[in-house]
Amino acid sequence: MIENDNRPVNLNLLTINLPIIGVSSILHRISGVAIFFSFPLVVWMLSISLKSEESYSLLSSLFQSSTILKIMIYLFLVGFSYHLLAGFKKLLSDAFGIGETLASGRILSWIVFGATFFMAVLFIFYIF
Amino acid sequence: MSAAAIPVAQIKTITMSIYRYDPTLDKKPYMQDIIVEVPTDKDIMVLDALHLAKAQEPSLSYRRSCREGVCGSDGMNINGKNGLACVTPLSEVIKRNKITLRPMPGLPVVRDLIVDMKQFYDQLEKVRPYLITKSDSPDIERTQSPEDREQLDGLYECILCGCCSTSCPSFWWNPDKFLGPAALLQSWRFIADTRDEATDERLDDLEDAFSLYRCHGIMNCVSVCPKGLNPTEAISNIRNKLLTRKKA
Repeated sequence: MIENDNRPVNLNLLTINLPIIGVSSILHRISGVAIFFSFPLVVWMLSISLKSEESYSLLSSLFQSSTILKIMIYLFLVGFSYHLLAGFKKLLSDAFGIGETLASGRILSWIVFGATFFMAVLFIFYIF
Repeated sequence: MSAAAIPVAQIKTITMSIYRYDPTLDKKPYMQDIIVEVPTDKDIMVLDALHLAKAQEPSLSYRRSCREGVCGSDGMNINGKNGLACVTPLSEVIKRNKITLRPMPGLPVVRDLIVDMKQFYDQLEKVRPYLITKSDSPDIERTQSPEDREQLDGLYECILCGCCSTSCPSFWWNPDKFLGPAALLQSWRFIADTRDEATDERLDDLEDAFSLYRCHGIMNCVSVCPKGLNPTEAISNIRNKLLTRKKA
């Protein structure tokens, strides 16, 4: 933006339409940030599980009894799956130019959303 | 077209919610609802509806010239999506008898729907959108094979309306550093041109973190381009060219 300029700028994001490919891209970023901030928890759980047999069973029983922990891990897995799949989509377009037309980009975005939804349902059965 | 000349049965009223800002009168922009009578027996363009609104509110300001999608003057944000008012049929965008018009996002508003395009043109200037040659001029002209000429299809048609760059979040946040889809499409148009002799310099100019690489491929540009062009593909072509150049 031009400095010392007090002219208004129309940039109310709530009024601007964001197409599906844009939604998929912003969610890729948001999931990336969420994964980054949940890493301490996951690394902590990994280190506890590797420490000794007792600490592993302690963690296991904590996981079985704590719904909050289950929900946190569930959200982490869903976010991680989305980030991974959307990352593959990005790699496909960067490396092979796949998904660089409007139609193919939209289809790929929907595939990423669909696959994440499928994973999210699977994780429900797996964790809860 | 005068609304009074149309029989009553063929008219319906629509609400046009329009972004208004007059720097001499208003401290802040506001939305004004203007009720307009439009014909129902034929489709009109958004620009025609704007003319009807202006007949009621003569102070309403917008750019337009050719009114057929060639000059690129009347780019605006129509119901949240950028487009040219002159080639956007009202029937395609109207929802519950209402249409919302705002200026193109991200650029300073001069008045109502008119934005200051300086930032957009500055970025275009940076890519030097003209043929650069170093060899002596041939006697008649610099020729191209039909196949080489074909490489420029989908690139030269850009009318610089600004719909793409002003729909691009990367351009909103860094309009001075990221060149934006319109300028990058033109950049590729001259990199791809076999007659141009400054390909390496052109690529050198793009090799920083912002100019080109701020594109994250969300394709807002492609989805709004009134000429159906694909800046995302052009940007990807430049990226590939930068990478293969390094390997050589």
